[in-house]
Amino acid sequence: MQGKFKFLMASALSASCLMLGAANAADKPEVIPGWQNASAEAKDSPLHDPMLLYAAGGVDGAVAVIGLPSMRTYRHIACGVDLHEVSFGGNNRGNKNGTPDGKFLYVNDKGSNTICELNLQTGFMDRIIAMPFPYGIHHIAMSTDGKFLISTGEYTGKMAKTDIATGKTEVIDWGPSPSAPDYVDQTRDGKYAFSNNYYHSTVGVFTTSPFKLIKEIPVGKNPHGVDVNPESTLAVVADKLSATMTVIDVKTLTVKKVIPTCAGPLHNAMDVYNKDGGSYRAGIDSDQGLTSKYVYESCFVADANVKVSYAKLEVVDEIPTHYRTGHIAVSADNSYVISLNKFSTGMFSPTGIIFPINFEMWDAREKSPTYGKTLKIQPVDGEPHNSKSIMSYLVKDWTKGQAETSDLLKPGMNPILDPAHRVKTKRYMIPKENTAPGIKVVNGVKEIHMKAFSYGYIPRQVRVNKGDKVRIFATNIDKAAGITKNPDVTMGLTIYGPYGTRTNMDLPRGVTAVQEFVADIAGEYEIFCTHFCGPLHLEMRATFFVDDPKKGPSNLANGEYAEAQQLPGLLEEGQITIAERVKGL
Amino acid sequence: MKDDNLRMYLIAITSLGIMWGCSSAFAAEKRCTAGGEKVECPTQTDAQVQQAAKAFEKETDDYGKGKGGSAYGIAPFDYLTGVGKKASSEKGGFTDTKTGKTDSGYGTTGSLRTELWDRVKNPTPGAGVYDQWVNNWSPKFGETLVAGADPIQGKTYYYSYCIACHGWTMHGDGPNAVDLNPRPRTLTRGAYMQKKTNLELFNVIKGGGESVSLSSSMPTWGNVLLDQDIWNVIAFIRAMQDVPPPKSVEDYLHPKSTFKPIKGDVDALNASKSKDFKEMQELVESDMPGRAPGSELTGGGFVEGGNRINASDVVLKVK
Repeated sequence: MQGKFKFLMASALSASCLMLGAANAADKPEVIPGWQNASAEAKDSPLHDPMLLYAAGGVDGAVAVIGLPSMRTYRHIACGVDLHEVSFGGNNRGNKNGTPDGKFLYVNDKGSNTICELNLQTGFMDRIIAMPFPYGIHHIAMSTDGKFLISTGEYTGKMAKTDIATGKTEVIDWGPSPSAPDYVDQTRDGKYAFSNNYYHSTVGVFTTSPFKLIKEIPVGKNPHGVDVNPESTLAVVADKLSATMTVIDVKTLTVKKVIPTCAGPLHNAMDVYNKDGGSYRAGIDSDQGLTSKYVYESCFVADANVKVSYAKLEVVDEIPTHYRTGHIAVSADNSYVISLNKFSTGMFSPTGIIFPINFEMWDAREKSPTYGKTLKIQPVDGEPHNSKSIMSYLVKDWTKGQAETSDLLKPGMNPILDPAHRVKTKRYMIPKENTAPGIKVVNGVKEIHMKAFSYGYIPRQVRVNKGDKVRIFATNIDKAAGITKNPDVTMGLTIYGPYGTRTNMDLPRGVTAVQEFVADIAGEYEIFCTHFCGPLHLEMRATFFVDDPKKGPSNLANGEYAEAQQLPGLLEEGQITIAERVKGL
Repeated sequence: MKDDNLRMYLIAITSLGIMWGCSSAFAAEKRCTAGGEKVECPTQTDAQVQQAAKAFEKETDDYGKGKGGSAYGIAPFDYLTGVGKKASSEKGGFTDTKTGKTDSGYGTTGSLRTELWDRVKNPTPGAGVYDQWVNNWSPKFGETLVAGADPIQGKTYYYSYCIACHGWTMHGDGPNAVDLNPRPRTLTRGAYMQKKTNLELFNVIKGGGESVSLSSSMPTWGNVLLDQDIWNVIAFIRAMQDVPPPKSVEDYLHPKSTFKPIKGDVDALNASKSKDFKEMQELVESDMPGRAPGSELTGGGFVEGGNRINASDVVLKVK
């Protein structure tokens, strides 16, 4: 009896082993696509990464710290609502990665209309600079002296110069409407700032002191990224709807050349070399005499990065990316290009109703046997916008109690802040509803039914009264992510400013997202999409008007903007630097 | 005083109706009227838009599987959108998607290069390079039907902004049409469009549907497009009147419009002298977001950029 039982057990075990074996044999060998480098060696990830990439994480409101070249995510630093651009403190001479002094990282929060200051050594946020309203900050650029940031006010057609220490801010209008400055860079001599104007199809040239617009240079249709080379002789512009790169001569402030590039160009990034021709090492090499050889441009529609030679001023190579590249970054040692891809269609294991986007690191070393191949491609959290790289040696080891014995933390310094992402709000998702777009009043609540599609919202303008309880029902009705046809398109819906912390909605396909809050601050606030849904994602805007019946319809000149700037609910009084509006900074 | 209250009440009711009311009888009446006459509503049937939506869904599913293809079956669309672009690995026949296969028909062996190299190696001289990407794969026009407006310039913005609802070929069958009520208009139907003045088109594009008591689904494009861009889009719409869905690349590249300029209508060239246009502008601008009275942030201006030129400098002549 016992023997028979043993036999049965043994046969059952072997049968299951056989089945396992059969299942393994039935698995098809993994297809390694031609664009990917599949090294047989397992030792491709060092324990210490020579470089760190700081990525503004978009909708997750956090900055991701990623090691290069391992591409491991070390941690996330909580900051705000919708983070766009990172800029290291120090000066801007080391090109897009700057010349970091290892002290601070500045990140602009498009959702809250603020700039967050992160302490690189503690690895936490320590200050928020609240920008004046109405504004709508999209990007920031560090000055050469490291003392101020120039930013773009995408939603209102404004530009601003902010003194970092005091928060004092000078805001100037850039009309006529429609006007949308998105991206900005400053020359390394501190003289000019260049910003695109998306709807004007121009690049504006600003003198930094006094801060004013001195010229608009016509470029291609709907330009986005504008970047100055380290020599400050050229500014390169990504003309999105023209599929060109406009090269501007900084000396004459005229167009030097127009280079056909890829379909849907969005951003540029350049390598940088020290005066002896080696990779530029911030803090070790002199920041004078820096040069650049290549500028890389991301092509959203064409799923590629192109490489443009500064010597020839023409496209010399095209590298396929996977898929829909938005921003693009170059590692601090010029070895790798990191393509910040907005779609991962068909790749990675599913994790729910929202797809992960990815970072793809390809080998930019021309002499490497894997040049042009993807070395790492990894799903990332949030919806990262720009990222920049720093040499790891600039961040010291404080983990062995040094915080107590050194001057890292001292009395009177800014406290470490860890703000809540969502306040004064209730949020949930329901099955996709098909109520017609518009506003209706249900039990005293203003129910706003909105449809999101590529690229816009219906209705385009929403008016409520101050004090109204608001319930937004937002539905993504997309079938095809207009123009690029990605089937896995997720939309977002955020009302910037005081309502940024109360909205920040994700709109995956097939569901309706609902958010409830009280509209208690009057003014005109832009509604924007927080998931990069396609090449015209930037146009995906609507306007939320909160009217104070005593003061009449709100507009950019009529609203409770001083109160909005306090970001009630996000921070306590005293924890925030109110950027006071001044003339002639 | 009582009258005032009544008036306020009426305004409140009416505006609520407008907000809510793409489906109100008033709007429906106006929608199907052109030149004061009742006409057939120029929209697609439910069955047609559902079929179109299915075609788009299939196209995107194919994309997800690494296949190329176009909902309209017209190859040049694929070059504009990037789907089915030339791409192959060193092994040949591979594209860059998960399956490693393509059946787009555009793949060439031994090259990873896409259509951009056609432009890199042979750029259009002068400012025309700014329109080359779109012009390589879509119709061009030697003349205009709206004085001072350029359909070639309008085309890029139509392809970018309008297609999601009105469709690539203006037949009101874009991928989102199925979810809209009322349906987006078929912009090619001559019986209707021939009676719509340029002034009316400008108004609805700039101010959106709500500015003329029509569907709130039509966005306020005046917050995205400058006035001359709107004129150029109108010229493109006029250039496509009664153009049927293309059956071949040849049809697609050479559309033949039936539009005859309407007598006494405003156009890009004479708009600055028109009293009606000025009134409409003031009304539309007063209700538009992104404006700050008394500052530089007001609309209706002109900025040179992106090949946008003044109406008086448009060289295309009216047919």
